[in-house]
Amino acid sequence: MTVYEADLPGVGKKFEVELDDETRLVIIIHNTGKRELFLRREEGADAEKLFELTDRLARQVGTIMEGAYFQPIRTDSIDTVLADDTLIEWSKVQEGSPLAGRTLAESRLRQALGVSVIAIQRGEETLTNPDPETEIRAEDTLVVLGSRDACRKLDDVVAGDAELDG
Amino acid sequence: MAETSLLEIGAMFAVIALAGAGAHRLGVSVIPLYIVAGILVNDAVLGAVGLPAIRDGEFVTIVAELGIVFLLFFLGLEFSIDRLIEGRDRMTRAGALDAALNFPVGMALGLLVGWSLTEAFVLGGIVYISSSAVITKSLIDLGWIANPESEPMLSTLVFEDLAIAFYLAVLSAVVLGGGDLMGAVMSVGTAMAFLLVLLAGVARGDALFERYLAVDSTELFILRAVAVTVLVAGVALAIGVSEAVAAFFVGMGFSETAHVEKLERLLVPLRDVFAAVFFFWIGLTTDPRLVAATAALLALAVAVTTPTKLLSGYLTGRRYYGLDATRSVRVGTGMVTRGEFSLIIAALVAGAGGSAVLAETIPAFAVGYVLVMSVLGTLLMQYADSLARFVPGTE
Repeated sequence: MTVYEADLPGVGKKFEVELDDETRLVIIIHNTGKRELFLRREEGADAEKLFELTDRLARQVGTIMEGAYFQPIRTDSIDTVLADDTLIEWSKVQEGSPLAGRTLAESRLRQALGVSVIAIQRGEETLTNPDPETEIRAEDTLVVLGSRDACRKLDDVVAGDAELDG
Repeated sequence: MAETSLLEIGAMFAVIALAGAGAHRLGVSVIPLYIVAGILVNDAVLGAVGLPAIRDGEFVTIVAELGIVFLLFFLGLEFSIDRLIEGRDRMTRAGALDAALNFPVGMALGLLVGWSLTEAFVLGGIVYISSSAVITKSLIDLGWIANPESEPMLSTLVFEDLAIAFYLAVLSAVVLGGGDLMGAVMSVGTAMAFLLVLLAGVARGDALFERYLAVDSTELFILRAVAVTVLVAGVALAIGVSEAVAAFFVGMGFSETAHVEKLERLLVPLRDVFAAVFFFWIGLTTDPRLVAATAALLALAVAVTTPTKLLSGYLTGRRYYGLDATRSVRVGTGMVTRGEFSLIIAALVAGAGGSAVLAETIPAFAVGYVLVMSVLGTLLMQYADSLARFVPGTE
């Protein structure tokens, strides 16, 4: 990936970022601080303007792109945020987890942690709305709904790093 | 020169603001509209129908002069020696072609209508220099700024900007020094000496310029920058050198310092206000009847100097920047617009009190010429791609 830089006298600076063989992202940084983004689809084509940003907004977007503004956390679980503090999380049950071999009723997940299991993915099949007698096995992926804290605690339990209390 | 009241100045800014709003509404450049607004409210138009006109007072003239000073200061500020050296080959060739094609044509036009050598030299400058402000803005508005055609245009403008600084130096020495090329040797000497001192200061005084503006307070920073610029320009004018050129050199002195961005950020609003008054003042001092009287010359100049810019721009794009025919046509259309510098040249000779041609005909002609060329140039840019179809080698 090559970045070409050119001076635009009286305007500012131009950066061209190679996205692939043909396409280039063109970023104009004006002396006024305004940023304009263009996309040139192929050599010889006119650049199409995508959007412009103020200096402040551009910096914020820049840090988000850099990963500095919001650090995505890589875990073994995937989650979807429903509201500030409510997640749907996919957690894989490891070999040594206290949950393996218990039924949902026995695991008392809802009472102990405050998470409800809404589905269990087992290999290719998905058991939606599992009843309390469904057994949890190692290698299952539990789809649970709960608060952020509860989901964090569950992560430790499925990994076998924590016992179920209660 | 009349006494100027605060009410008049208020009215003046209100009219300028209205003209600016109108330009934004119509999506055209503000420069022609400021001029037109000035014409509409001056003694010859509004005064003629018995309404209170805005008079050309001492205050307005001084603010307009500040406009010239800051326009050129910014030119110097954005001018970097490094860039000139970097793009030397192509930029010099592009600039030389542009000058060789357009300047002599303007001079020939002046000689053709029976003007003196000095007068023709002025006309050459007026038709040679394209408008950096309008062209740069059009480039951004049309989105060409991200395309390869922006490079030859901006490079040519950089070359022109440097050429015009030297041209103004010579011209002011000639015109302010008595109006004929022979009698001006003394004043040319003075002017050159002063400019050399400035140039030496610019070349050697990086550290000095750097230190001068190294203050924490924004207020002090602005005051210092304005003080040195206006003072040097004033000294220049007092000893018969163009204030515009002096301001250009001061700008150039700051161009290599770390303060460039801060200067641009803080002084742009100031420049815009003063420059708007300058364009308005040009209109204010223009008698439309005089402009009408130059109609024949105007038509001739438009007919001749539009194609010359189209050609020089096209050749620049094609030959030196390796662009395809369509983009080269765009470069040509982009260079047609003439603006602030043509007016600065006209204002310089108008105030020098030379021949009738210098004092009346040329300023009136320049106003008409800039009005036509700024509108025509913007239109040509918008329809560049349709024009390109008539050029061999385009799809």
